[in-house]
Parts: sequence; structure tokens; C-alpha cells
Amino acid sequence: MTLSPAIRRISASALVSAMGAGLLLMPLACLAAGQKIERHFTVKGRPVVMIQNVANGRIEVKSWKNPEIVVSASQPSNKIGLDMEQADNRIDVTASIVDSSGQESELTENIQLTVPEETELQIKSQSGLIYVEQVLGDMTLESVGGDIHLKEVSGYIIVKTTGGTLVCTLCGGKLKFDSVSGSAQILQPSFTNVTLYTSFGNILFDGDFIRTGIYSMKSGRGLVEVRFAGTDSFDLNAQTASGTVDNRAEAFLKPDSHGIRHSASKYAKGLFGSVGNGLAKVELSSFSGTIRILKRD
Amino acid sequence: MQCKDVAQVIEQQGFSPLPEAARGHIAGCASCSALIADFERIVAAAVEIPAEVEPPARVWIALRAQLEAERIISEPRIAVPEESAPWWQSFRQLIRGRLLATAAVALLVAAAGYFQMNRKTVEPPPTEPFAAAGTRLDQEEMSLGPIEAASLSDVSPVDNSLRENLATLNSFIKECRKRLQEDPNDQVARDYLAAAYQQKSEILAAMMERGRSVN
Repeated sequence: MTLSPAIRRISASALVSAMGAGLLLMPLACLAAGQKIERHFTVKGRPVVMIQNVANGRIEVKSWKNPEIVVSASQPSNKIGLDMEQADNRIDVTASIVDSSGQESELTENIQLTVPEETELQIKSQSGLIYVEQVLGDMTLESVGGDIHLKEVSGYIIVKTTGGTLVCTLCGGKLKFDSVSGSAQILQPSFTNVTLYTSFGNILFDGDFIRTGIYSMKSGRGLVEVRFAGTDSFDLNAQTASGTVDNRAEAFLKPDSHGIRHSASKYAKGLFGSVGNGLAKVELSSFSGTIRILKRD
Repeated sequence: MQCKDVAQVIEQQGFSPLPEAARGHIAGCASCSALIADFERIVAAAVEIPAEVEPPARVWIALRAQLEAERIISEPRIAVPEESAPWWQSFRQLIRGRLLATAAVALLVAAAGYFQMNRKTVEPPPTEPFAAAGTRLDQEEMSLGPIEAASLSDVSPVDNSLRENLATLNSFIKECRKRLQEDPNDQVARDYLAAAYQQKSEILAAMMERGRSVN
């Protein structure tokens, strides 16, 4: 089939791009047992790093000022395969189980990355800690059983675990956390938008509520605890179906400053009010757990 | 009109009907004629592309649970096509054309209006929220049995974690359902039940995926 010049131009350009990307898609390594490997990838601007660890093990990401990504990995056996590839500004790292008959200790792959400060991350792991420090960029972090620790990261952060716990210290941007039994600890945050949901874990939010921020924290059976600052300004809506609301901030909580009369449904217990001028919006909920609100020291 | 104007018209308005000026230009321009011919061939080829693969049932279940949680839909019916529904399949075929679909919607609106005016005031008994989705998920969980057994040669902590969380979710679902049986309008319980079903569907998907990757 012959194509017109206009379409040929488009096709040729797409083909060149695809071939360019294809040339860069070079599988780089498959480790031998007990080996430690290190690869360097030169990038520009804001790269995207995707890590998939089907094996167990720890993933650690730290940043530096250089436009380069360094991936280091070690593995105790040859039952794990490790592939790394670069497609322009995207780096893919995949650890997979080659032989599942090995002992648990043999099916472990620890991966360390050093990335430019502004990097986007997509990490998917089974178990083992995911640790990210001083990275600015959107990130999606998923783990079945591993914990996720974030320190001084900022961006649109999506965290999804089955049983793993999130600890987020000095983080900013937007945060979305979803877990079945994992807990979430948000410490000294500067998030403008927070959505936390866990069916059985606990939630601790210890920090300031940014004015105009929106915060939603829900736990099915766990404790939802909020420690706010005396200078904070937010509207509070706390509801539980069959749990309890432990209000230790009565001195700070006034009737809604915007004149809206809230009331819990006849099926739920609720606590409503404003702290300060009620600029941020805070929604707390627990099905059968405890909601606790207090001013921190 | 010039070639770039024709391209702009196509981009903004599509092919039919092309304005008189564009048709006039195309008639005398080999490049644009070839472009139109190519597009026609592409459209013809696209029509022959096979229909999309049906997504797995859990996708529909999760979608349905979300829609019901947001009260966008309320009928306790699963959106998965039934095998024994030939009239429905043929109806879907019938409304593929946009014109027919518009006519069908108009007919449905008219019929709904008629039934709304003539319906009796007896309300149906309250149905349990997400009952159909729950049944479907239970079926998927049952079907997981062989996959789990096949991968049980060396049960990993991850598999254990998934299994334990699934069991706990099931007990939580029971708790939410009990609450809703007592208070069918409890919105908090309804929201948690929807979220629990959503998480259950994701855990089942993860277990299936692990079963596949190991075997």
C-alpha cells in the first residue's frame, strides 16, 4: 500500500523515533550468583525510573545533583534474573525469579539507585523495604508486604500496599495512600492534599494543615489520630459507625466558623467544628476504630 | 483553498461532509486526493480490527462497586455480559450505529416516562448493597483454590500476607454487611463495604497474578 507524502512524513518520523528508542533498549545485565553489579545511565531533564522487583528485597533510592542514574544490585543466588534497560530518559529495572524452587533467602534482590533530584519513580515490589529520600517528582510505590519509608520527598505520591506500612517524614505535595492492613505515619508534612485509607491499619498525622488543603483519613478498624498545631486553621468532620471519637482538643474546637450546621447521620457518631478560621478541610472516619484529635505539644 | 487548509478542515470537522471549497481543491490536487484515499484505506482497515478482548470480571466488579458507592447506579446487577442473553447481545449489535443508538435512547426515555407515570407506588424491598459484586468476588475466590494449591510448594511470606489479608477483609465485609442489615441507610458502612470489595478484588487479582507468574 502506498501512502501519501503527508502520511509518509508522519510515519517516517514515528519510525525514526521508535528505532531510536529501540536502539537504546538494550538489556544490560543478568547477574551471576553472588555478584554485585553497578550500571550508570546518563539522562537529561527529569527522568523516569521504573523498578519492578518480583523477588524479595530492599529498594533504596537517593538523589544527587548529577544528570546520571546509578543502579547497584546484589543477589545471593542465580535464581534471580536482573534486567536493566534505558530508553532515552526512561530507565527500567526488573528483577524476576528465574527458578522459584530456591529458599526464601535465595530469592532476594536488593537494589540501590542514585538519581537526579527531579526524577519520577514507579516502583513495584513484593516484600522488603522501599526507601526513598530527597527525590522531587511524582511517584507510584506499590508493595504487597514491604514497608515504604519516604523522607524529604515531594510530588504527587501514590502509595499502595497490602500489609506494608508507610512512614512519610518531611514530605510535600499530594499524597494518596491505600492499604488493607498497613498503617500510615505522616510526620511533619507539607502536603496540600492527603487521602489516606486503610482497612485495618492505624493512621497518624502529626503536622500542620496547610490553608486551603484537603485532608481525608479513613481506617476501617484502626486508630485515626491527628495531632495539629495551635496555629492551624481547619474545618473538622469526624465520623464513625460503631467506633469512638476521642476529642482531646475541646479547647480549640469551636462550632463551624462558616455557619454550616453539621450533624452526624443517625447511624453514626460524629464530631464537627472549626479550629482557627477553618481554612483547610479535614475529614476523619473510622468504621469501628477510634478517632483521636489532639493539639501537639 | 490550499493543502494546509484542507488538512485543517479534516482535523476540525472530519470527512463528511467536506465543504464545497475543500472538495473543489481535492479534485484538482493529487497530493490531497492521495491523502484522502489513504485515510479511507486506514478507516476501512480499522473497521476490520477485531473487537476488544473482554476485560476480566474483577474489573467490572470493582467498577460496579465504585459506581454503587457513588450512588451513580443502584440496580443489583453485574455488568458482565451473560452468556444466555441473546436478545441483549443482539440489542447491543443493533445500537452500534450512532443514529440507531440515539433513536433507542429516545425510545427508552419515552418508555421510562410512561412507566414512571403509570407505575404503582409499591417500593421494592431494600436490597443489600453490592450483593451481586460480593457474590461474584466469592466465586472468584473459590476459583482461586487450584491456583493457590499449585503454588504452595513453598509458601512465601508474600502469599501468606495476601491470604491473611483476604481472610481479614472477608471478616470486615461480614461486619459491614451486618451493620447494613441493621441500618440499610448507613452511609459510613456502605462506603467501607464498597472499599472492602474494591480491595478484595485487587487482592484476588494479585493472587491470580502470582499464581500465573510462578506456574
